[in-house]
Amino acid sequence: MALRFEVLGRFNRARAARLTLPHFVSQTPLFMPVGTQGTIKGLTTNQLEEIGCQIILGNTYHLALRPTSELIDELGGLHKFMNWPRAMLTDSGGFQMVSLLHLADITEKGVTFQSPVDGKPMLLTPEESIQIQNRIGADIIMALDDVVKTTITGPRIEEAMYRTLRWIDRCIAAHKKPNEQNLFGIVQGGLDPVLRDICVRGLVERNLPGYAIGGLAGGEDKDSFWRVVAQCTALLPEDKPRYVMGVGYPLDIVVCSALGADLYDCVYPTRTARFGTALVPEGVLKLKHKAMAEDTRPIDPTCSCMVCKNYTRAYIHCLVTKDAMGSQLLSYHNLHYMLQLSRDLHSSIIEERFPDFVRGFLQKMVNAECECSRKERDS
Amino acid sequence: MNWPRAMLTDSGGFQMVSLLHLADITEKGVTFQSPVDGKPMLLTPEESIQIQNRIGADIIMALDDVVKTTITGPRIEEAMYRTLRWIDRCIAAHKKPNEQNLFGIVQGGLDPVLRDICVRGLVERNLPGYAIGGLAGGEDKDSFWRVVAQCTALLPEDKPRYVMGVGYPLDIVVCSALGADLYDCVYPTRTARFGTALVPEGVLKLKHKAMAEDTRPIDPTCSCMVCKNYTRAYIHCLVTKDAMGSQLLSYHNLHYMLQLSRDLHSSIIEERFPDFVRGFLQKMFPEGDVP
Repeated sequence: MALRFEVLGRFNRARAARLTLPHFVSQTPLFMPVGTQGTIKGLTTNQLEEIGCQIILGNTYHLALRPTSELIDELGGLHKFMNWPRAMLTDSGGFQMVSLLHLADITEKGVTFQSPVDGKPMLLTPEESIQIQNRIGADIIMALDDVVKTTITGPRIEEAMYRTLRWIDRCIAAHKKPNEQNLFGIVQGGLDPVLRDICVRGLVERNLPGYAIGGLAGGEDKDSFWRVVAQCTALLPEDKPRYVMGVGYPLDIVVCSALGADLYDCVYPTRTARFGTALVPEGVLKLKHKAMAEDTRPIDPTCSCMVCKNYTRAYIHCLVTKDAMGSQLLSYHNLHYMLQLSRDLHSSIIEERFPDFVRGFLQKMVNAECECSRKERDS
Repeated sequence: MNWPRAMLTDSGGFQMVSLLHLADITEKGVTFQSPVDGKPMLLTPEESIQIQNRIGADIIMALDDVVKTTITGPRIEEAMYRTLRWIDRCIAAHKKPNEQNLFGIVQGGLDPVLRDICVRGLVERNLPGYAIGGLAGGEDKDSFWRVVAQCTALLPEDKPRYVMGVGYPLDIVVCSALGADLYDCVYPTRTARFGTALVPEGVLKLKHKAMAEDTRPIDPTCSCMVCKNYTRAYIHCLVTKDAMGSQLLSYHNLHYMLQLSRDLHSSIIEERFPDFVRGFLQKMFPEGDVP
């Protein structure tokens, strides 16, 4: 184990913690920006530090293809390669199974992809995934899991859950650097509470440094989503970090944090920036809209980021319709928003004003769902 | 745009040359076909200055009748004389002479007689500064430098000279040696978007396979944020597929150009300009094959 997880404050199931990793000491709840191929689109590493980014996510599948994990290893690991001094997490390549399924064939051995580079068949086994991640050198590495969309029903879900448990043992066996890199297991089981229960217990038996809740954020309805998160956080050990993969929308992060989760990742903030959309306390602001053309206010008057301190909506509107700079400024603002949200969650829990913070957050958001308020109060 | 330092706007004249198939030049002005809705737009000297007055830049450019240096014949002479007639219209239309500096632009193609007439005509108007226009359009280097040398010899000593559309680092060094002061060009940022970095030796093509495992910075002698933080191998990895690569290269290339500017300024002040130029040329042409 190469991490320390100390809970510093609680409100019901929500917790604020200090997560000490080999490269950095971070505070949870925490959003981790996604830097798929060795870079967060549009931001330099200096800017990432500026906005308070603590852990970034690298995508094993894409990095293995280009520039290859062997090269990254040779050059001293991904931290050094992309000049990121803080913490890093790599996923296993498993999610690409779901998203590139028409190219993939899943068997007990592993996942066969058709390489997008040269069309050759590539086999990603648990052993291979861990080996690649060992070379990349991230602080947290993810087990290769058999992940299926939550919108699927039938025996495939059960098969995938049990396979995930069999694969975790192969991942553990293949992991060459347990004192430098933390292998997280991923809970699968679709929306079925029985399967989820079996999976959690199976993973907890292996006494891993941390656990992720996987297979969600894929189109299931919100009630099912929160129910699964609530169930898993209730069963997973208190003293280890919980990572809800692929989440997400600010509201979902607030709710999952109320339910006891700690870590999150999603492409949403940066991707929506590239479509001209900014994240604001009220929800979203669409900078391409004509109404923005003469609006001299900053994106968010309450935001202290470099973009809101220096540029008007009118200026960004002018850019987003035709210059990459628009997307960049919006990416910067959106990631700042997510990290500010993380800091606010952390400090409001520690300062014993979490319910007030959540109420204030929900109030500002136009589309606050009553369901969600109830869930939050329930928790 | 939240830029607290100085700004210069051009007149729109250059677009005449680059979008000529859509443009019709008469004594009145230039008729464009608007790329937005296809309607005819007329850019007159008055309109150009009015627009520039609104934009508010520190330096504004006269609308000139600019032709490519690769063209020959009476069109060049027509354009030069029209430029002189238009400067008076620009001066008359300029509403903010105490806040914005109107520069005249010397035209006349590669013809020294025409260039001479144009310089004298503009100098008579006693403008705050002068530009040498119509170059950097495909003419051979010898012709280019000859025109710059002639203009800088004729233009007043006590006013800034701006060589428009220049350019390559070598051209800037040479034009500075000939007495020019200001330059502009899309080259450093455009070439960055093609994966090319500016270095003392010339250029470095980051897309090249050889860069994939090169752990040196783009330029070990460069002190910019990019060279201090990233390796060639990393940037190579980016340029082939992520906009971030172009960004980092743009940053470095512009730093290179501004460092060159600082070096030219300080080497002249510190009375070591010839040494600087020799050193610059040596690094770029180690075998002495300076054009």
